[in-house]
Amino acid sequence: MPTTPLYFVLPENLTAEKFLKKLSKKVNFYIDVQQHAIKTYYDSFDWRLYNADMVCELNQSKTSSQITLIDRVTGECLALEELQDVPPFSAQFRNGCFKTRLAERIEMRALLPLCALPHQVYRLNILNKDQKTVLRITLDEYEILANRISLHPLKGYDKAAANISHLLANDLELSPTNGTAALNAALQLQGRKPKDYSSKLAIKLDPAMRADKASIIIYKQLLAAIQINEAGTIADIDTEFLHDYRVAVRRTRAGLSQIKNTLPPKIVAKHANFFAWLGQITSTTRDLDVYLLSYQQYQAALPETLQADLAPLYEFLKKKQVIAQKELADILSGSKYRKQLLAWEQYLRDPAAVKAKGSDANVPIKELADQRIWKVFQRVLKEGSAISESSPAETLHDLRKTCKKLRYLMEFFQDMYPAKDMKVLLRALKGLQSVLGDFQDYEIQENNIKHFSAEMMEDNIASDTLLAMGVLIQYLDTMKCTARNDFAEQFSRFKQAQNQAQFKTLFNR
Amino acid sequence: MKIIATYNIKGGVGKTSTAVNLAYLAAQNHYKTLVWDLDPQGASSYYFRIKPKVKGGSKQLIAGERELDGLIKATDFENLDLLPADFSFRNLDLVLDTRKKPTQRLKKLLAPLTQEYDFIFLDCPPNISLLSEAIFETSEILLSPIIPTTLSLRTLEQLKKYLKDNKLKHLQLIPFFSMADRRKKMHCEIMATLSEQHQDILSSTIPYASDIERMGWERMPLAAYARKSRSTDAYQALWQEILQLIT
Repeated sequence: MPTTPLYFVLPENLTAEKFLKKLSKKVNFYIDVQQHAIKTYYDSFDWRLYNADMVCELNQSKTSSQITLIDRVTGECLALEELQDVPPFSAQFRNGCFKTRLAERIEMRALLPLCALPHQVYRLNILNKDQKTVLRITLDEYEILANRISLHPLKGYDKAAANISHLLANDLELSPTNGTAALNAALQLQGRKPKDYSSKLAIKLDPAMRADKASIIIYKQLLAAIQINEAGTIADIDTEFLHDYRVAVRRTRAGLSQIKNTLPPKIVAKHANFFAWLGQITSTTRDLDVYLLSYQQYQAALPETLQADLAPLYEFLKKKQVIAQKELADILSGSKYRKQLLAWEQYLRDPAAVKAKGSDANVPIKELADQRIWKVFQRVLKEGSAISESSPAETLHDLRKTCKKLRYLMEFFQDMYPAKDMKVLLRALKGLQSVLGDFQDYEIQENNIKHFSAEMMEDNIASDTLLAMGVLIQYLDTMKCTARNDFAEQFSRFKQAQNQAQFKTLFNR
Repeated sequence: MKIIATYNIKGGVGKTSTAVNLAYLAAQNHYKTLVWDLDPQGASSYYFRIKPKVKGGSKQLIAGERELDGLIKATDFENLDLLPADFSFRNLDLVLDTRKKPTQRLKKLLAPLTQEYDFIFLDCPPNISLLSEAIFETSEILLSPIIPTTLSLRTLEQLKKYLKDNKLKHLQLIPFFSMADRRKKMHCEIMATLSEQHQDILSSTIPYASDIERMGWERMPLAAYARKSRSTDAYQALWQEILQLIT
């Protein structure tokens, strides 16, 4: 059975008043509510709700203010909450279904307003001959968009919904649309569209393209990611702006060092220094962000009797984070940073102005990608195989860095290879990276918590807090050791013959 | 999820008004609520302007040939649904009797709905029958309206004895006074005596009032047409007292 269209758009010249008059000749209804309202759409910067097929709307009128999560495919209301102001983070919502549904999707990201649509809302109840409501209709009369109608079928009255839908489409000649049409149209007015930002790379490259031109395309996309996350990083809207900013910086650095000999060495050296500096000035804030994001995990790792005693650590970290964030914001708003970023942008926009080229500038990009990925993959195998149970921590840290280079190279060029094969290999690599990342993260966290406890001692913190931090250090050490013990298995899984053969087929035929 | 049956051996004591009005208040408190009209007279279906008609009647319903979810109708109120009555429900006893473990039947039929609803109100016909036994097995709370008359004392005691004899320990009996007329000396005296003898009777009382009787004319729950009245307040107080006991 075909599904009943539930959304309709009114022709431009059909006002709400005219429509209601037409409808009243066909069916029995009454207007339950008629008021001025503002609909504001919300999502995280990286569209986590939209990607999960949800739309978040705040509907405010004189009498009510409700935020709803709606399934954008079926139009079903998944959760609803009455509130006046929308807090940025899911943790700040009242406990309940809305908070749970929101938190599982947007996690640590902030909920940001996308666009606000002032409109006149009419809520109609369609009645049967017993004066029983069998269907609810919302008519939104917008100031800047075409008017829209949505049907809200009631349980057990599907036939009524189907009949009215048919009537709207055929007798009143309205065009069916979808539940996100108003959002899409409003975004279009701002020159935007849904999912216009993702931290994932999707770079389209012609395999036959010259390597220097291809690398410029990659750098341009990374620069765009840096620029788009810059304002959110400075304003500290949520932690992920800085995270994505840093990823783009790291990817650029990996590009400059790994897509070798395409750009002139002088240019590479100059800008590599700048991006190394960016990596360095952003690291303190990011580390503190990570500690604060992990705080709940830290607390949960402690015996219940000590959990409350850890609170001073949170305050201490928060204070440090505020200072580091302020310093970072100052640097990113300063002229030294702006000048160097602009110089990089100018170079990317007009590389021809600089005549010099790298020695491999004319090599087709696919050939260079094959070479580089294969070489770095060999390096991963060599470094990993040399690690034994007694190897020092540095060997794992070095391998982690090499793996990252391999990962970035594969991501830059993945569009030129069969998607299915790349997915398998990237998944295998991610498994290895995860254990290496855990090992390093827990080690750094363990050391830093030790340093923090020394600093906090100067502030005369309570002995129970020190005790709690001691237990936390013990926990981090255990987690680090677990990661160290998992390494051998993860690495042997990665270097299994099947993966090696796959790498060879793809990159070294 | 809680299943609450409004029940009394006697008829005409206000079972349907209780189910309809309390379910309405629960839904207003944002609890997803269902009323199942098990009385062939279909009074709660009538109050919600919903046809007392179930496809396939009691036979197919009890046989489990139709899922209950497909028979549910939304009322005109948010969070409040109704499973309508059907005239064939007059034979529910006979139909149940043809099944194995007849008293477990309703519980089995309701099982898939427990995820969807916070409260399910069963509006029950009077008498002690196979159907009421099935209702006792299914419900967690037996909400029993009592008119303050001497006869009511007898039926309350009969009911308590029945629950005890049949070891229905899972079932929480909550009696309260309904249709109480403060102008009648006898009502006041009986309420005083009964409350002393039966400490479990709630302190909230539903009055005998014309605005409650008007439900049949308005065809909606009391609070939907009389937002501010002594009777509306009485149902609100009753609901709050019940909530305290069961949550």
